[in-house]
Amino acid sequence: MSASQSAVRSRAEAVSASRTLDYMILFTLFFIILGGYHIHFMLTGGDWDFWSDWKDRRLWVTVCPIVAITFPAAVQAVLWTRYRIAWGATVSILGLLFGEWINRYFNFWGWTYFPMNFVFPANFIPSAIFLDCVLVLSNSFTMTAIAGGMGWGLLFYPANWPIIAPLHLPVEYNGMMFTVADLSGYHYVRTGTPEYIRMVEKGTLRTFGKDVAPVSAFFSAFVSVIVYFVWHFFGLWFGKTDFVTST
Amino acid sequence: MKTIKDKVAKLSFVALLIAVSTAMFYTPTASAHGEKSQAAFMRMRTIHWYDLDWSKSQVAVNETVTISGKFHVFKGWPETVAKPEVSFLNIGIPGPVFIRAASYIGGQLVPRSVTLELGETYDFKVLLKARRPGDWHVHTMMNVEDGGPIIGPGKFIRITGSMSQFTNPVTTLTGKTIDIETWGLGDIYFYSFLWIGIGIAWMWYWCKSPVFVPRLIAVQAGKADSMISDTDKKVTMGFIAGTVALTAILMGSTNDAYPVTIPIQAGLMRDMVPLDIPEPTVSVNVDNASYRVPGRSMEMTLTITNNGDSGIRLGEFNTASVRFLDADVAEDEGSYPADLLAENGLSQSDNSPIAPGETRTISVSASDAAWEVYRLADLIYDPDSRFAGLLFFYDEAGNTQMVGIDAPLIPSFI
Ligand SMILES: [Cu+2]
Repeated sequence: MSASQSAVRSRAEAVSASRTLDYMILFTLFFIILGGYHIHFMLTGGDWDFWSDWKDRRLWVTVCPIVAITFPAAVQAVLWTRYRIAWGATVSILGLLFGEWINRYFNFWGWTYFPMNFVFPANFIPSAIFLDCVLVLSNSFTMTAIAGGMGWGLLFYPANWPIIAPLHLPVEYNGMMFTVADLSGYHYVRTGTPEYIRMVEKGTLRTFGKDVAPVSAFFSAFVSVIVYFVWHFFGLWFGKTDFVTST
Repeated sequence: MKTIKDKVAKLSFVALLIAVSTAMFYTPTASAHGEKSQAAFMRMRTIHWYDLDWSKSQVAVNETVTISGKFHVFKGWPETVAKPEVSFLNIGIPGPVFIRAASYIGGQLVPRSVTLELGETYDFKVLLKARRPGDWHVHTMMNVEDGGPIIGPGKFIRITGSMSQFTNPVTTLTGKTIDIETWGLGDIYFYSFLWIGIGIAWMWYWCKSPVFVPRLIAVQAGKADSMISDTDKKVTMGFIAGTVALTAILMGSTNDAYPVTIPIQAGLMRDMVPLDIPEPTVSVNVDNASYRVPGRSMEMTLTITNNGDSGIRLGEFNTASVRFLDADVAEDEGSYPADLLAENGLSQSDNSPIAPGETRTISVSASDAAWEVYRLADLIYDPDSRFAGLLFFYDEAGNTQMVGIDAPLIPSFI
């Protein structure tokens, strides 16, 4: 068959070929995003996401949404402008979570025997759906960055609260007070992660008393908006086809 | 079509490999056997562990073993290592094969980082509750911020039984007894996968209809803004409202279920109480010291003055956890790791008691294969070629006195 001839002979064949391509591209895309995003998130969010005794109301709430909004912004930039695809953020987060759950279940628990209630990944799905929905409804990246980015940051803590609240029960142990999560961190020995590496409950938000989680979430949301813009342009640049010379 | 399929399949395979390997490669450090790779000066001039005891060598799952002893924080702490202002009493085990049930410095529980003073000696105790069967090397260990882990001697402990029998019960301040090993797992799985399901539903709604090629063609044909239908928009509004509402509802029901919660606890602990050790009545001057490479032995000339009121004998030289004993004077009570114990490794030109008031110059040699095995001999390649260690003197009543020494070392290659 010569190059000028079509590979398909009927409309039905074209439809089925297109559908096959859909599945293949989706599969490939999912794992490519997973690979890049997972590494990025490990390097930037790392220990905050690995351990329950790092999931605090100050730094975890602040850091995780900021470093996590990167790939969703970039993937949305490509998928929405080129395909009008509405799930750029959600597919990124599903990829990240897939990689994380495999990593935590098979490596942290299966290989090293840390209990899963100590090493579960954080939940970003509500944030991701919110970001995608704002893009569909507004058809504007500026709106998505501002309204979507704010929602992304603000939803993070409440979305995770049902998961972490049981681990924040107070326990008296040998004369000191701990949360259940602190006690997990003390009991389940991490030889390579001494306690002083833990960055939690540090900062200058003391004036807000006990209500620091909302303040941290607002701050995180503002920064997420800025990071969204930056990574939007990364995405656009990375999604260019100039690299491929047409033949 | 076939070639495209092949290409996509190949690409998918490569992507899968990359992703799987990246996702899989990270495991928190499980090994605790870095002791030999650590620079010799680090082990000789930082923390000296002594009087160690591992209470049992075999335990069943759920039983507790205690590692206790003393550690001396060396006065001549190397310039190149950060001072132990923020330190954490750790334990070197391959992952959570034991849980650390408790750890104490000077009788104070130390779940967090502490400040240690140079020149002081502290007693410590770590209680480990057996969790996973196997033979595990258990090391004493101190982590120093910006200084790294300082690993002490290690000993094998066997755990018998089955990990499925392990329980870790505690009682919360709200009066509930929970097993930390499994507490909260149901909520973690339920809420995580509930939301993952909702995320998949969102994608599934859009992927029911053609995804990539037809949409790319439509966008390129300038039809982008007519591609989202009114139904799509209604579904989207449903998803966004549903997501926000469900998040709020779940947060409310969680607050009802757990009305009392506290923040993560953290903060540096100061004021560790050191042991009250009287000034030694022995003074030692290192006149010279050399390491003989072929003989694997260190030779030093010491001038010892006994200012006490009882005759004393040098019984032990302890450096980097290796104990060189003079069998005539001192012996180990039996629980020290054999590879770190040179029971007859210390010989002296004169080991008779040094009388009160007497000053004597003796030559002492500490020789054992441990110099090589534990790579202490690498000391001669250090930029600051010094050695350090603890000398233990025994008086007539059997009391010991500890004197730290710290001096330059000249290697001899012939
Ligand atoms: Cu070891």
